[in-house]
Amino acid sequence: MPLVDALLHEAGKTASDLDLIGVGIGPGNFTGLRIAVSTARGLALALGKPAIGVTIFEARSYGLERPLTVIEDARRGDVYLQQFDTDGPIAPPRLMPWDRLCDLSGIARVTGNLRAEAAALWHAEPVPETVMIAEAIARVAEEKLASGADLPRPAPLYIRGADAAPARDYGPPLL
Amino acid sequence: MAEERHLTILGLESSCDDTAAAVLSRSASGVLSLRSSVVVGQTALHADFGGVVPELAARAHAEKLDHVVEEAMTEAGITRNEIDAIAVTAGPGLIGGVLSGVMLAKGLAYGLKKPLIGVNHLAGHALTPRLTDGLDYPYLMLLVSGGHCQFLQVSGPQAFVRLGGTIDDAPGEAFDKVARIMGLPQPGGPSVEKAARSGDATRFALPRPLLDREGCDMSFSGLKTAVLRQRDQLVAAQGGVTEQDRADICASFQIAMRDVLAEKSRRALALAKGITAFAVAGGVAANQTLRQALQEVATETDIRFVAPPLALCTDNAAMIAMAGLEKYLAGAVDDMSLAARPRWPLDQTASALLGSGKKGAKA
Repeated sequence: MPLVDALLHEAGKTASDLDLIGVGIGPGNFTGLRIAVSTARGLALALGKPAIGVTIFEARSYGLERPLTVIEDARRGDVYLQQFDTDGPIAPPRLMPWDRLCDLSGIARVTGNLRAEAAALWHAEPVPETVMIAEAIARVAEEKLASGADLPRPAPLYIRGADAAPARDYGPPLL
Repeated sequence: MAEERHLTILGLESSCDDTAAAVLSRSASGVLSLRSSVVVGQTALHADFGGVVPELAARAHAEKLDHVVEEAMTEAGITRNEIDAIAVTAGPGLIGGVLSGVMLAKGLAYGLKKPLIGVNHLAGHALTPRLTDGLDYPYLMLLVSGGHCQFLQVSGPQAFVRLGGTIDDAPGEAFDKVARIMGLPQPGGPSVEKAARSGDATRFALPRPLLDREGCDMSFSGLKTAVLRQRDQLVAAQGGVTEQDRADICASFQIAMRDVLAEKSRRALALAKGITAFAVAGGVAANQTLRQALQEVATETDIRFVAPPLALCTDNAAMIAMAGLEKYLAGAVDDMSLAARPRWPLDQTASALLGSGKKGAKA
């Protein structure tokens, strides 16, 4: 919140001047995503204005020529990846092990925080972002609002499931 | 600071597996009115796991909180601009849920330009009898739930002295574990109580942990293990358990729990000074056998017994709004630096019962 406050102050605005809150929904650190999404939803509720979620794939590919593949570090030897055609995403974002990336072919252009490594693997062209991530999120959110589509409230895009094991003890056999 | 104007407080709670919001108003003359209290549980979400899974709980809170707030405002018939302050559980509890609640509250407070008040979840429970029964300070509170068990002498909105508490499991946790051990559905409290109704409480001699020690501290982990041993003996001897075995074990367990809570309450009542009442709160207070035993202890000592209605005994946001209101009236308001705390003991002077060490006491 102090960052939001400082930013608004710098822009000579107050919260009530906002028409829309764009928020990055990941994937990424679960707790970090919930912090951002909860804050955005609280602000939206207070202001009576919409909050719109933007994935990291939408933000990273903002303003870049397509077809394009966005690849982000998912830790634990995995990556998050989504491929875009000129018409938009060709499939939902997915999680895959780095070792399996060599199975993908025909990728010409790649962006995201692992673009250098992935470009080398695929002999593709690494494409740097043209705008900073927060600005890209705001711009994509604006486009989504302008599209007039019925948008859900922002929710974290986890992709990775929760670490939870079913109960081990199912109780004794009943006689 | 005596407030002479009408106040409306929004309360938020998300520290375990209930997402809750409530609207509480106080008239200029000091009359309280609970205008709405909405609680959305997550029982089905955790059903397969035999307990609350923190990550699943956090995911659900983050996507439900604002809806619950809207529902509470609609039910109360107020608009967002009528809210004077936002009170939110800032701990102790499962940090993922607490964080979501605190951040949503910060967004709300910032957007509405209204004060933010961080409330201790335990203070919410402990101050509930002030809302439901208008109790005067000081009173003795037994907080007995799925996550907590402690005796508190409550002398003010921020003045708590812990007279004793559990050194391991909470009673509700023990009920859940016994249910799991015996193959009964979660949550364990109601299902163990139901099974116990047709059981013989004298059939199995289960331990009454720490009754032989002085003071008001309690332990329930060994009791649960004793149930497990008893079950394993039955399974080894007869290849399983009958409905009757199960009922008898549940009844024996419940009676052991009753004996411990009643005797420790007796001791806490002897320790407490000049109290106006003995109050209970927490989901376990819904158990009729336990509640009756506590009532009897209060009658023995000639002290008024208070048990808020069940909906305000279990986790809810009305209690958070109430505790927030009391803090607000005392001028204890937070700012955007309010932090979510997984550990936050009410009585900061008492030595740690649980989770001592570098991270500090749990509760």
